[in-house]
Amino acid sequence: MFDKYSIDGVYDEMFGADNQPRPHYRAVVDRLGELTLDDFAARRRIADITFRNQGITFTVYGDNRGVEKIFPFDLIPRLVPADEWDHIERGLTQRIHALNLFCQDIYHDQRILKDKVIPAELIYGAKSFRREMIGVDVPRNIYIHICGSDLIRGGDGKYYVLEDNGRTPSGVSYVLENRAVMKRVFPNMFGRYRVRAIEDYPFNLLQTLRHIAPLRSREPRIAVLTPGIYNSAYFEHSFLARQMGIELVEGQDLVVDGSFLYMRTTGGLRRVDVLYRRIDDDFLDPLCFRPDSMLGVPGLMNVYRTGNVALANAVGTGVSDDKAIYPFVPDMIKYYLGQDAILPNVPTYICAREADRQHVLANLDKLVVKSTNESGGYGMLMGHQAAQAERDAFAEKINADPRNFIAQPVIQLSQSPSLIEEPAGMHFDGRRVDLRPYILYGEKVIVMPGGLTRVALRKGSLVVNSSQGGGSKDTWVLEEDNA
Amino acid sequence: MISSPIVVNETNVRGERPMLARVADSVYWMSRYVERAEHIARMLVVSGNLLADAGDLAPELRDELWLSLLRVLRIPGEPTGEGPISGRVLRQLAFDRANPSSIFSCITRARENARAVREIISAEMWEQLNTLYWYIRVEDAEQKYEQQSDDFLRAIMNGSMLFQGLAEQTLPHDQRWLFTRLGKHFERADITSRILETRHALLGRITGSLEASVRTIHWMAVLRMCCSLEAYRRQFVADFDGDKVCAFVTLEQQHPRAIRFSLDRALESIASIRALLHPHAFDPAERVLGRLQATLEYADPAELFAPSFGAYMQQIQQAIGDAAIAVQQTYFLQ
Repeated sequence: MFDKYSIDGVYDEMFGADNQPRPHYRAVVDRLGELTLDDFAARRRIADITFRNQGITFTVYGDNRGVEKIFPFDLIPRLVPADEWDHIERGLTQRIHALNLFCQDIYHDQRILKDKVIPAELIYGAKSFRREMIGVDVPRNIYIHICGSDLIRGGDGKYYVLEDNGRTPSGVSYVLENRAVMKRVFPNMFGRYRVRAIEDYPFNLLQTLRHIAPLRSREPRIAVLTPGIYNSAYFEHSFLARQMGIELVEGQDLVVDGSFLYMRTTGGLRRVDVLYRRIDDDFLDPLCFRPDSMLGVPGLMNVYRTGNVALANAVGTGVSDDKAIYPFVPDMIKYYLGQDAILPNVPTYICAREADRQHVLANLDKLVVKSTNESGGYGMLMGHQAAQAERDAFAEKINADPRNFIAQPVIQLSQSPSLIEEPAGMHFDGRRVDLRPYILYGEKVIVMPGGLTRVALRKGSLVVNSSQGGGSKDTWVLEEDNA
Repeated sequence: MISSPIVVNETNVRGERPMLARVADSVYWMSRYVERAEHIARMLVVSGNLLADAGDLAPELRDELWLSLLRVLRIPGEPTGEGPISGRVLRQLAFDRANPSSIFSCITRARENARAVREIISAEMWEQLNTLYWYIRVEDAEQKYEQQSDDFLRAIMNGSMLFQGLAEQTLPHDQRWLFTRLGKHFERADITSRILETRHALLGRITGSLEASVRTIHWMAVLRMCCSLEAYRRQFVADFDGDKVCAFVTLEQQHPRAIRFSLDRALESIASIRALLHPHAFDPAERVLGRLQATLEYADPAELFAPSFGAYMQQIQQAIGDAAIAVQQTYFLQ
């Protein structure tokens, strides 16, 4: 099965440089060796049909409206040994603390700006900075309740944080469904490991949401706010509402009356106390943000400011995961916590800085350039793969609006074996992966043991986003005594 | 974990969890569309078999029988497409995406509604409806239908039955179930009365030209379309008189396919919903249905046909329509 497998100087999750399986992967490799290609084909079919019939799909924008696709699922799990996970967990916990302190500071005293740790113009120039939130106290001073930080492993085998998602990170439903499907497809493999459970995530999420409910509510009513069934992540919104046993509401289901938020039920209006909103700030309240938004609730921000409804995440958290602010996160950690960052950032050039910009323009063929206002793999230049014309076009854009761009060296993401189906037949081949763990910040910080391992299914590709042809695989965080 | 006195279940005073108006609307339509798809499938199966059994019918009568299926679904005019009428009706009612009353459209809409509320229906219901959806959506579905239409249509009927059984057995009998049941029985009563109305008129017109044995075959087909042949046989052995058939399917109290049975269940559902949400209020849909129920309960079978059976059926359809509008206004448009 692994006959044609090559490592090519990239860090491989399964095999060491000596082409031998890493110790914690040995049982997986043994088990895979017992299976024939037909066995794999059969299991893959089961997995595909399961995903389709359960409607575990996402919607692709720019495609026909409402085209549902299965998020391609890769059968070979990605394993993270206990000591590596411990490091990641500590790093992420540290990071979410710093990001929250940063939001609290930015919307109140702005000490970090006054002390010139972060240039003030970077904040005031950020579209994600919400002036409406200045001086607003949020419940229990928590801004980012749910964070998804993207980690990658470089050629040196070290984990780096590529970006934080402190607004409405998605993907956690696939983590849970991937695990459920894996248990169905490879029940025996689990017997050989002690894999840390992730199934309590919805419960932990609900506790996190309850933690910020207005104190007067003895029985807080909590709902997930979705933009509706045409949103790419609708499956997840519905999934989480179901798992938590709470209502899934759309903007049209909600109404503000007095200074309270209500939902329209068959029996009349019922008050809502907490919204886990999966709608961007811009669309939350047409009276406050985009007036053309049909997705939100007119007057919601007023209710929010009076403290009669809690929102998770808070409004304005985008300022902390802005790509232009990202390079300063290690400084934030130092500033607020007095610690060095446990998980390093990827080195980043900030085009708003003149020297950085010159360097970026001179080295466009070696860098990845990202627009600070886009996500999901859109608005990106992979300099080493792009044609000269594309690079020229990007150089023009950078010069026109330097603040909008950052650049990073091309990181050779680690690879993990994927089952590849080609006309010539099926075989294992290395594909690049990243890892998005989910962090909850409620009464305490809980890092879900695992996360979404996204796979760039095209050979050699470094872009793992689902909108760009990425897939995912189950991620197993191992208990201490494995291997 | 959390020390504050927070109770897990959010309930109102009556212990009934509130339900979003939009969700109630979707659940109700999900159920109606599944039921409608099942009826369409059954009408097509029975019509195909009928023509095999009835032997040589006059070509105009053949066409009229097929056209009457469109009338049941309130589609006026000629069927779309080319070729013989039968093939056109079979296509228009099965896979025509432009026709809102095709099996394809009904299953698609049922599934769309279910997708919008899948967190509140049971996983089993969702998976069954989604499986049924993919059954008609796969690339060769239409081809399968052209080649083996009976198998295909029976799979739709069984899929609907399975879905309804799962709704019965996996969903708590709360508001969700009550609105599901309400939608199903409104649809069933309405479409059954339309089948009886159109067939009674058509067969009444031509009955003189048919031999008794052929007439029986036609009325047996009507009973099959209403899924009532066996129930009828046990009551009236070998007597397929048209009026008796119509009266049976209209007034029978214990047969789950009879109009009265469906209206009784619809009335029960609406009364339960009202009692949960507005125990002391007056519900317009309940009044409309209550009156209709009393009419059917105390009906003398003879009055069904005076002045005409068609008028009697239309009166039932009108009441169902009024009740459906009242439900919408009372519960869905909060």
